[in-house]
Amino acid sequence: MTAGAIWVLLTIIGELFFLSLGIFGDAASEQGEFIDDAFILLMVLAIPIFTFVVTMIGYIVIKFRAKPGEIEDAAPTRTHTKWVGFWLAWTTILCLVVIVHPGYTGLIELRQTKADEPDLTVNVTGRRWQWSYEYEGRDVSLYSKDEMLVLPNHSLIRFNITAEDQDVIHSFWIPAFRMKIDAVPGLTTYMDVNTTEIGHFNDDVNFRVQCAELCGLDHSLMFTRIKVVEPAEFEQWIAEKAA
Amino acid sequence: MASFMPLIRGVIYAAIGYAIGASIALGVASMTGEPSTEPMVVLGYVFAVIGWLMGVGMWKTWGAGWFGKPTENDPSGNWSRYLKFNTDHKVIGIQYIVTFAVVFILAGLLAMFMRAELADAGQNVFSKTNYNTTMSLHGIMMVAVAVAIMMGGFGNYVMPLLIGAEDVAFPRINALSFWVVPPVVVLLLLSPVFGGFDTGWTAYPPLATQTPLGGLLFELAFLTFGISSILGGMNFIATIITQRAPGMTWGRLPIFVWAVLAASVISLTATQWIAYGLLMIIFERIFNMVFFSPPGGNALLYEHVFWFYSHPAVYIMILPAFGAELEIISHFARKPLFAYRWVVWAFALIVTLSFVVWAHHLFTSGMGESLHGPFMILTELISIPTGIVFLSALGTLWRSKVRLKVPLLFALGVVFNFSIGGLTGIFLADVATDIALQDTYFVVAHFHYTIMGGEIFGAFAAGYYWYPKITGRMYSETMGRIHFGLMFIMYNITFLAMFIPGTVGMNRRVAEYPPEFEFWNLVTTIAAFGLGLSFLPWVYNMLNSWIRGPKAPDNPWDAKTLEWQTTSPPPLENFDDFPTVTGDAYGYGDDLVVHAVYGRRADEGDGHGHHPAPAEGD
Repeated sequence: MTAGAIWVLLTIIGELFFLSLGIFGDAASEQGEFIDDAFILLMVLAIPIFTFVVTMIGYIVIKFRAKPGEIEDAAPTRTHTKWVGFWLAWTTILCLVVIVHPGYTGLIELRQTKADEPDLTVNVTGRRWQWSYEYEGRDVSLYSKDEMLVLPNHSLIRFNITAEDQDVIHSFWIPAFRMKIDAVPGLTTYMDVNTTEIGHFNDDVNFRVQCAELCGLDHSLMFTRIKVVEPAEFEQWIAEKAA
Repeated sequence: MASFMPLIRGVIYAAIGYAIGASIALGVASMTGEPSTEPMVVLGYVFAVIGWLMGVGMWKTWGAGWFGKPTENDPSGNWSRYLKFNTDHKVIGIQYIVTFAVVFILAGLLAMFMRAELADAGQNVFSKTNYNTTMSLHGIMMVAVAVAIMMGGFGNYVMPLLIGAEDVAFPRINALSFWVVPPVVVLLLLSPVFGGFDTGWTAYPPLATQTPLGGLLFELAFLTFGISSILGGMNFIATIITQRAPGMTWGRLPIFVWAVLAASVISLTATQWIAYGLLMIIFERIFNMVFFSPPGGNALLYEHVFWFYSHPAVYIMILPAFGAELEIISHFARKPLFAYRWVVWAFALIVTLSFVVWAHHLFTSGMGESLHGPFMILTELISIPTGIVFLSALGTLWRSKVRLKVPLLFALGVVFNFSIGGLTGIFLADVATDIALQDTYFVVAHFHYTIMGGEIFGAFAAGYYWYPKITGRMYSETMGRIHFGLMFIMYNITFLAMFIPGTVGMNRRVAEYPPEFEFWNLVTTIAAFGLGLSFLPWVYNMLNSWIRGPKAPDNPWDAKTLEWQTTSPPPLENFDDFPTVTGDAYGYGDDLVVHAVYGRRADEGDGHGHHPAPAEGD
């Protein structure tokens, strides 16, 4: 078998193995679905490069190994203009492809809701070591660590995020939505998500707000459980909560 | 006992210095009524470092001259020459290598404790504060190892030999840049005693301004280490420009020297930024100034300043490892380095790009969104010059005569590991996927693949390759193979398994985590213990061979570069017969290319000869 055949074979095995892994749960937001697709695409592109390196190393070590006692040098090829050109061409093209998609398309995807009026705005404040939430215009706030952050499905939700002035940097991360942004004292950041799935922390641990920026002692425990419900159920919950 | 006199004197002078500095700070603080502890520590430390340096021999060899007094400099002698301010680049190289091998082992032990804690989801080995301090210490100590082992260690020992120089351009500054390192190590090891620091090595304020005294010790240590880096970078640039042997034109420079030059440019220029950042944090602490903490300060500012150093810094780590990797591949493949000129251009491009990609660490920081696109594009462009390094490695090996010795095994390990490290880097350069993966174990796995899998494997390749030259003894090939096999397999299991919890939702820098991620963490922990054990044959091999290994010939690898054409180890000032370079170093299979001819020169005898200026061009 030639090196080329081994490479193709390894690549097919690698791709099939990766695609069959299904290591992701379903992303619960449109943004998250884009990100998962981007991750899969990048991995599909990366696997042939990795298998190429592996094939080359393996082939070289077996095929070109000096015999015991052999003291001769190899033929002194110093460069090979066509190969260098070919190498530069494919690395450059692949790089440009990735810059356009999922790079540039990703930027568009993540910004496309920026001008839209959200269905729900939640103001989030981080402090060591818990989050508090205010449902804007709905007269509902959550201050306790034990309370669940309830969100409506099929909605554009905008989180306005900050941290208390005398506090430190946190990061507002919802793994189920694949989205995060830092909560910085003295600065308000935002994060838009279009929810697509209902879900509950008890069924999927990724339905949680997790602090992702090291903030000291109880950093790992700085999380809030999340429940995403259908809009009607959400309205019912918020009415009960406001009452 | 006399051998330890410089160290003992250094400690005594440091204590006196601390007393002086702390007294001044206490005096000033008592007049103004401000709190005095941290100012005392800072000023005391500054004076203590000066005292330490003077005590270990800087006064005798250098400082006395500033006041018109006679100086003495004797870099020769028995093993006690390693325990004082010594200007021989080979002594300094060994000082660096041994010091940072010890720091590597200590920081590795910290990692073992962390993995024990992370074996299961709960929190049981450490208190949370101790876990955070352990994690932070592991980080900064390993960063120090990564910055110093290739540059300070092998750069110092080998680079002047490779260019046919007698020493570096500024030997006393070289000694200075090593002797500020012991205070760094002492401060880091003391920091847990004074409350530790739970900021990670990144030390983002406002958290970093609120840590206990241990955090201040860490900040001072980092700042001091930066000074060492800056001085080293400057010295190496001057050396490579001015100290090359006659005929060592730029086009004949061995690739490791190019790599050291490239990394030195970053050391000299980028390191100053982290020094500013840390100084500003220290000023916030001791003078109540406001730079990074609101109201009035901007926390994001520090992140920019920090990464303006710390991203280029990863190229201080990896470039010399690439250089050593390619050097070793060419010599063990018995074939000229493939596409040499392209690699030099690739290094130059990597250095340039390294300065304009820092904000890819900040895609989720809340910085202006207009920065996302440019930094994503610039970051992804780095894959092109990095690809050239792979082309050169594989192109050299193709149709070569591979001699599969331990140094080459580790060099091939670099190629394998860095392909994973580089490819996973794309996921973090892409804004969309980075938003999901930032601050997760995916990032931890990625940078361990680049820095440990790339640079540290490269450092082991360099260590085995130059071991006979440095020690004059041969290491045990069998033990070396056992080390490589164990380390390579265990390393890959450890960090491949780490990608998975990162991808599915486990954040980094936590002592406890949701039980869903337990399985892969247990796999990582078991493999990590195996990885830890893999260093035992290395330690045994290095120590045992140094003491009773067979004597090494001058050129055990039959390599063509200059360091192998002198004795093992080389004499003071490196060459008994001075080289005049007549061709490049990679003339394998090509009898027309002779790297150098040797002979006494006209300036023979004064020992500090003036080399004729090297001719430009090739």
